[in-house]
Amino acid sequence: MTGAQHLLEVRNLGISYRQGGGWSRAVDDVSFSLRPGEVFGLVGESGCGKSTIALQLLGFRHVSMRVEQGDVRFKGQSLTSMSRAELDKLRGDRIAFVPQNPTTALNPGIRIGRQLTETMLAHGRAKIAENAGAIAGILKLVGLPADPAFQRRYPHQLSGGQQQRICIAMALACDPDVLVLDEPTTGLDVTTQEQIISLLSELRVRIGVAMLYVTHDLALLSQIADRIGVMYAGRMVEIAPTDEIFLRPRHPYTQGLIASIPIIEDLSVTRARPLRGLLRRRELPPGCPFAPRCDHALQRCVAERQELETIDEARAVACWRWRDIAPVPAEPVSPAGAGALATRAPVLSVDHVSVVYGTKSRGFRAVSDVSFEIKEGEVFALVGESGSGKSTLARAISGLTAPATGTIQLRGEKLAAAVRDRSDQQRRLVQYIFQNPDASLNPRARVGEAIARPLVHFFKMEGVTARTKVADALDDVRLDGSYQERFPDQLSGGERQRVAIARALAAKPALLLCDEILSALDVSVQASILTLLRQLKSEHGIAMLFISHDLAVVRMLADHVCVLYGGEVMEIGPREQVFAPPFHPYTHSLLHAVPVPLQRPDKPPKAPDAAEPRRGEAGCVYAGRCPWQVGSICETERPPWRAGEGGLGLRCHLTLDQLNARADWAPLRQEGIAV
Amino acid sequence: MSVEQASAPRQAPVRYRVLWGQTPQSFRIGLIVLLLHLTVAVIGPFWAPYGFSQMGTGIPLSGMSWAHPFGVDQLGRDVFSRVVHGSHIVILLSLSGTAIGLLVGAVLGLLSGYLGGWFDNLLQRLLEALISIPFLVLALIAIASAGPELSGNPILVVLVVALVYAPRIARIARAAAMDIATRDFVTVARLRGESAWSVMRRELLPNATGVLLVEFALRAGYAPVLIGSLGFLGFGLRPPTPEWGLMISENRALIIITPITVLGPGLALASLVVGLNLFTEGLARILGRTVRLGNQ
Repeated sequence: MTGAQHLLEVRNLGISYRQGGGWSRAVDDVSFSLRPGEVFGLVGESGCGKSTIALQLLGFRHVSMRVEQGDVRFKGQSLTSMSRAELDKLRGDRIAFVPQNPTTALNPGIRIGRQLTETMLAHGRAKIAENAGAIAGILKLVGLPADPAFQRRYPHQLSGGQQQRICIAMALACDPDVLVLDEPTTGLDVTTQEQIISLLSELRVRIGVAMLYVTHDLALLSQIADRIGVMYAGRMVEIAPTDEIFLRPRHPYTQGLIASIPIIEDLSVTRARPLRGLLRRRELPPGCPFAPRCDHALQRCVAERQELETIDEARAVACWRWRDIAPVPAEPVSPAGAGALATRAPVLSVDHVSVVYGTKSRGFRAVSDVSFEIKEGEVFALVGESGSGKSTLARAISGLTAPATGTIQLRGEKLAAAVRDRSDQQRRLVQYIFQNPDASLNPRARVGEAIARPLVHFFKMEGVTARTKVADALDDVRLDGSYQERFPDQLSGGERQRVAIARALAAKPALLLCDEILSALDVSVQASILTLLRQLKSEHGIAMLFISHDLAVVRMLADHVCVLYGGEVMEIGPREQVFAPPFHPYTHSLLHAVPVPLQRPDKPPKAPDAAEPRRGEAGCVYAGRCPWQVGSICETERPPWRAGEGGLGLRCHLTLDQLNARADWAPLRQEGIAV
Repeated sequence: MSVEQASAPRQAPVRYRVLWGQTPQSFRIGLIVLLLHLTVAVIGPFWAPYGFSQMGTGIPLSGMSWAHPFGVDQLGRDVFSRVVHGSHIVILLSLSGTAIGLLVGAVLGLLSGYLGGWFDNLLQRLLEALISIPFLVLALIAIASAGPELSGNPILVVLVVALVYAPRIARIARAAAMDIATRDFVTVARLRGESAWSVMRRELLPNATGVLLVEFALRAGYAPVLIGSLGFLGFGLRPPTPEWGLMISENRALIIITPITVLGPGLALASLVVGLNLFTEGLARILGRTVRLGNQ
């Protein structure tokens, strides 16, 4: 490869951030290049330096950041030594950025039509900006309606997916050579994510823009990237073509990372062992940063630094043992048995519960007429997109939000609507674990104090008894007793979530409400918490209401699954039945939207992404978005409840046989893949 | 699976570690001025050349001299000695008044922000009413309603400072509480059925300390001015207490003859207020920084 071929080149880049009194290295000696029209994916767990590099491609500068070595070259010009004025000419024009969160990236006070012209005006393209046809063209390019009425909307009048399309349109406004995307779909629902990804693949074919795509989601990246660079602790550990990464990962970290991705797979396929341990920045050895977590590490790995070594035409690895290592197979996991559940007593019964925000007559129906039961020791999963009412339902069960109608019973006793009207015993039996462990632990309370609170409050324990119980609770979540003295900011995200789980377990609950407790965590940490939850399930026999948007995780953990859309139950039943045909059309599209490694979107999305659930109208709540819509009956008549085999139930105008015939989803069964 | 625990415990990061070299300049100057004042307040009474009510120390109304740096007042008292003797009184009254105001304001504000509803509404209207009265007028009303037998009592002065500051601090505390109350750890406490008092003490207060300390520091900087104003108007401490505001008031009639007898205590008051403000402003910046880091 000659230098002329490279559009963008990162050479031996090293970046440090100011921390306390000194500087700490965030990116260490990273090199890679981007060819015209290529999509290069940068993947790694949080804190690995991937976003820092992405910002450096735009020549980002800040007082508390400095470039220690190397540079970034765009068409031969060095971005790191360029003046501010020259950079401004380049940024937005030749190199454009698509941010993670479109809601905060768009100015809420400017109509989107005008907002789109901002980039063009900044780069002296007033002629194009005033041309209404050009604006409409860009909107059409990103799959948005181009009519003037739409252009006059404000950002808050758009859905999250539409907002991200606007951000992409703004980035494309000056027809740039490179698009830098920093986790552009992370905040979006899985079905919206699928549409954005197919939009991006379509764009690169149509306009041939090169992309640097930064994400933590390797499965997603495999659907769009040509080559992937894997980063760990600020270093590039492997660069390879996408297929190669999945089929023959060389670096032990890549192998572990791929194995940690939860995938809806055929359970008979043996996977490699997921990553163990976690990145501890303070204990990085002088040699390979991954050595402390590596199964293959030798003395030399710890002591000697490994450079990225080109091993064949297109790939490079920073591991000197790459020739003689193979992925370690995982211990086989048997899916949780659901056999004896039918005979167990129900812990929780939710009976025709509706929750309305605002007034009863004119309010917003967040949950409407939902009924289910959770039996002892059972994991019951609530699945659905954001806004489907999952969390609202959990809040109603916990007593934070009063239901408008319906009853909730705990072990046969009716629960009061508000938490303050419930007995201490009832409050103890239902424990809530939140999504974000950073917010659910008091930053000023030591871990020991946090876990001791439920013991003091519910069991009136004190002193030594409480201390031993705290140690027991920490032991339950596989943390050492020494953690009692620490503050939350001295823990990693995964450790904090373990502490939150320990605090809930200390109350000896009958039911855990787990509200998206894995989604704020890195994949390797997710894998270890998932293992922990499975162990807790078998050791303590606690029932769990497990709220998640990740169907792969749900399949690994849940006994029963309930699929919600627009606050209504679409499908409910035992896991095996829900993940097998017949599928409800919504379940089916959710399953299809889950990113699977190396499976590229082959067909454009079937349904428009803007359709809102039809709450409170006649007919089916999913009509308007449903790919299998029968006809006008879906909009006028409420679909009947259809009961299938083994306790499955779903709401659709199509009969189970018709649904069966249309189902074309099956779990992953690729033996060759290294997952 | 249990690897997370296996590795050695990490070295605990030092909290609030702010190196001297990184502190703002204002903080350093303020600290030096404050230390000077504190030293005078503590050891001043032992080395002051004369007692604070000792008369006939020199020729009344004589100006600046080596023996009497701040001159002699019309009763023949050495003004410099009186300033030195008054130092600890001013500092003590300012700090204790602000501290009581902080305590009352913080408790009311935090509870109000957490509970919301009618309690919050009622309290806020009441506090707004108090804040709408100019603070000197409010102080005078309070002193007047306390009755003549209490006037001149240092405890009354302290309580008046607290009364003036508590509503203002309560509003800041309420805003902080409303922000903290939306976080999940407060919801966890609420789901556990903890009382409002317990939530306030365990969950809200520790997380509001940064904001409250900044508030304390800024208010403490103005307390000497308030106490001095009361003294000047004759509603503060009684003569012959060597309170600086009172001294300025006593000597102001003769300002044309011996300006130094007014300038002396004025200088002391000004340097204390400026020192306190520089120090607290710097402290606020340092706290603001570490508080933010601690919450990340």
